[in-house]
Amino acid sequence: MSKYIVHLRYYPGDSLEEIRPTDLDRIAEEHGVEVSFEKIDKREMVDGKLREETLDRPLEEISQEIITIRSEDEPRLRQAIAAIYDRYRSPRTPYGLWGSSPEGARLAKAVADETGGGW
Amino acid sequence: MKILGLLASYRKNGNSDILAKEALMGAEEAGAEVELLRLTDHRIEPCQGFGLCLFRKEGCHIKDDVKFIWSKIGEADGILLSGPCYFLEATAVIKQLIDRAWVLAHRGDFRGKYASVMITYGTKGWTSLAMLQPNIFFGILGFKVIHREAVHTQGLGEVVHENESLQKARLIGFELAQAVQKQDPTYRSTPGLCPICQDWNIRVLKDRKNVECPTCGVRGRLTVRDGVIDVEFDQRALAEYRFDPEVCYNHFTYHIKPSRDYFMRTKDERKALVQRYKNYLKAEE
Repeated sequence: MSKYIVHLRYYPGDSLEEIRPTDLDRIAEEHGVEVSFEKIDKREMVDGKLREETLDRPLEEISQEIITIRSEDEPRLRQAIAAIYDRYRSPRTPYGLWGSSPEGARLAKAVADETGGGW
Repeated sequence: MKILGLLASYRKNGNSDILAKEALMGAEEAGAEVELLRLTDHRIEPCQGFGLCLFRKEGCHIKDDVKFIWSKIGEADGILLSGPCYFLEATAVIKQLIDRAWVLAHRGDFRGKYASVMITYGTKGWTSLAMLQPNIFFGILGFKVIHREAVHTQGLGEVVHENESLQKARLIGFELAQAVQKQDPTYRSTPGLCPICQDWNIRVLKDRKNVECPTCGVRGRLTVRDGVIDVEFDQRALAEYRFDPEVCYNHFTYHIKPSRDYFMRTKDERKALVQRYKNYLKAEE
C-alpha cells in the first residue's frame, strides 16, 4: 500500500472545469504518481433540474467526482496535487479529503493552504 | 403593489430615515402602498449555528422578531434599504439579518423581488465596503437590485440641506415602484466593476493570476488597456455566481447537508479530543 493516498472529492459545481481522465493521465505521467478517477452521479431530473437528497446519506455515496492520487514520494505528490488544484481547484469541504491516508490528507491540506487552492 | 422601507439606522429623523421617507414618497407617487420598518426597533438575536433551519423543517428555534421581519419582507414586492456607513461597512443590523437568512437562500422564498439601496456616509474614502452587506443580503434573498447609491452627508438630519440627494431619493423610490409594476430589472445606478453586484472591490487570488468579486465569487482576469484597469470575467463564472439558485442548491445539498454524516462518523474521536478544552478557561455561568 502507498504511503500517501489522497482522495480529492469534488461535488457538483466544485471543479473549475470538467475532470477528464485523459488530463489526469497527463498529470500522473508528468509527476510520476498514480492517479485514478471515479464518478458517482445519483442526481435525478425533477422538473427540469438535477436534484438529490443528501441528508443522512453516507459521504461516499452522494454525487461526486473523486480523484485519487497514490505515491511514495512526497515532493512528487505535492507537485501533482498542485497541478490538480491549478486545473480544477481544491476540494471545498472539510470532508473533501475523506478516506485519504493521514499523511496524504496533511499534504493535500498544506498545498491548498500554500496555493489558496484556486479559491 | 407594496414597497417596504427597511431602515438600518437607530437614529430617528436621521439622514437614512429622511432619505427612506423621501424615497417612499416617490414610491407612493408611482402608486405603491408603502410601509417603513426600522430594524433597530426589533430584536434580532445572533445566529447560534444550530443548523436546525438547514437540517429540520421546523426551522430556526430562536424566539425573536426575525420571523416577523421575514413576514414583512414577504408581503412586499419591493424593498428600499436605507442605512448609514459608520465605519467602512453598512451597519451591523444588516449582518445580523444576513446570518439569520441563510436558509432563505436555499428555499428561495423571496426570489425575484426588487430592491434599491441607499447608504449615507460622512467621509469620502471610508466607504469601500459600504455595499458589501446590502449586496450579500439581497444576494441571499435573490432580489433584483436596481439602485445602489451612496449619499454624502454627516450630522443628524443634515441631508435636508441637500436638494439633489433628496431628489435622487425620491426618484429611487419612484423607479423602484415602477420596476415592480413593469417587472423591469434594468439597473439604474452607475454600473460598477462586477456585472452582478455592481461593486468595485476585487480580490486577488493567491495564484496571482486570477481575481474575483469577493461577494459574487465570479472570477476573471485583470486587464490594463491604455492605462485603464478592467476585469475580463469568465462567462461560466458569471452564469454560476454565488447566489444563483442552482449554485445555492448545490451548496446546501453537497457542502452542508453531508456534513452531518461527517460529524456523526467523527463523533467518537472528537469526544476524546475535545475534553482538553472543555474545562479550560471556563467562563462563569
